[in-house]
Amino acid sequence: MSDSRERDITGSFVRLASSLAKGHDVVDLLSELTEDCAHLLGIASAGLLLADDRGVLHVMAASTERTRQLEVFQVQRADGPCRDCYLDGAPVSAPDLRTEAERWPQFAPAALGAGFASVHALPMRLRDQVLGALGLFGTSPGALDPDDLSLGQALADVASVAIVQDKVKSDQRTVNEQLQAALQSRIVLEQAKGVLAQKGSLQMDEAFAALRRYARDHNLRLTAVAEAVVTRALPAQQLLAHARGAGRS
Amino acid sequence: MGEFRHGVTRGGGDISDGEELRAALATAMAGADTALAAADLLCRACVRLLEVDGASVSLTHEGSTQGTFGSSGETSRQLDELQFTFGEGPCLDAVRQGAPVLVADLGDPAETRWPAFAGALVRSGINAVFALPVTIASKPIGALDLFRRSAGTLGAAALTGGLLAAELAALPLMDLMGSDLDWDVAAQGGDGWEQLASLSRIEVYQATGMLIGALDVGQTEALLRLRAYAFAHDMTAADTAWAILEGRVSLDPDDWLEPGGPRREPG
Repeated sequence: MSDSRERDITGSFVRLASSLAKGHDVVDLLSELTEDCAHLLGIASAGLLLADDRGVLHVMAASTERTRQLEVFQVQRADGPCRDCYLDGAPVSAPDLRTEAERWPQFAPAALGAGFASVHALPMRLRDQVLGALGLFGTSPGALDPDDLSLGQALADVASVAIVQDKVKSDQRTVNEQLQAALQSRIVLEQAKGVLAQKGSLQMDEAFAALRRYARDHNLRLTAVAEAVVTRALPAQQLLAHARGAGRS
Repeated sequence: MGEFRHGVTRGGGDISDGEELRAALATAMAGADTALAAADLLCRACVRLLEVDGASVSLTHEGSTQGTFGSSGETSRQLDELQFTFGEGPCLDAVRQGAPVLVADLGDPAETRWPAFAGALVRSGINAVFALPVTIASKPIGALDLFRRSAGTLGAAALTGGLLAAELAALPLMDLMGSDLDWDVAAQGGDGWEQLASLSRIEVYQATGMLIGALDVGQTEALLRLRAYAFAHDMTAADTAWAILEGRVSLDPDDWLEPGGPRREPG
């Protein structure tokens, strides 16, 4: 392992631990975690899928906020490596998606169409419960080496802890209620991206960046800012003006 | 009171597993020609499948006509409406908290949350009530109330079934909120679970956000407009969402004055 990569890994875990200790915004932290994951493992894209109380998988966070790429994660509601990984509670590897059309008739073509060639899925576990799966997408065929997979699993474990330790919400909630709250935060985030994209003629990933910029610069939780945008308590133009200003400086 | 006195016609008998309940509930609303009739059918299915004696669906969303809509019978409807008369009850609390309110024994002296409503229920022979919130895109808009004569907790299978029924109840409630929407048309859009799945997609949440921004309306209203557009153009909610995201639908507020959005087909 090179020194710089080791520093990156350490830095990533230190930041995650500090967010957890301070009382974090779960969507924000998990988005960051998936970005770290993509960067540290040298893959194109990483996404977290969480199961609701019926076992249906929902996109919770991803290293990309582009709608079409989020859709590739979402399509695994029907079939795909993350779904299999969640159901079995064990890692699933697909080093070459071109050979997987029979195994995942909906997912394989969708992923190939989006430019992905390989997928690895790691379970998000909490004691005996499987919460969801972390999907690691590459643009060229090939398997991840065991070191990378165990690093990915360590990040998935941090994600599981982050979801159930969302202290700001409530100490009394069950794991299922915490999961539900996390999924609701994601819904509001997507709606807020839509509002900003429409008001500022932005792409969805730009809208997400503007939201995050505003939340961080004002020391607010990402979910709280998203909620304020959606309920129109915070004028979209005010947030967009701030993001434009921050972009120039 | 005939509904409760004679109504022990629980056809199915034992509560089956989750998958069977899902399937049984999905077909419960088939054949209804109005949203109100669909909600009634869903409530009757609850009585049949969930070991309760009565069921009703109420709408509490601001800006809509609040009150009891569907019910398994006249008695359930009247009891449910008492919550709106008294301004208190487990249904209203379930909506406020966004979580189920399960009351196993209304006669318990320690149960003091709804003095007027609980008293009325007990006098009518109801000793347990289970209120489950009905949500759209995570926002509570109403509740499914299950009434039972005997005190005691709701079994795990019945609770699972009740939660499934509460999810499905969102469909007729949405159509009651959007007065321009015709249940007849809405009901043709695949089975209930498919419709709900189509509404809980990333692109639908994003497109809802764009409508919030463009039309200056709230979250629920925006989703109702999207759904109305989808039905008016014989599209799924997800297809409609993509058309909005990709700029194939005008978001000019003037174009959305008509129920169902722009008349033009997306190009």
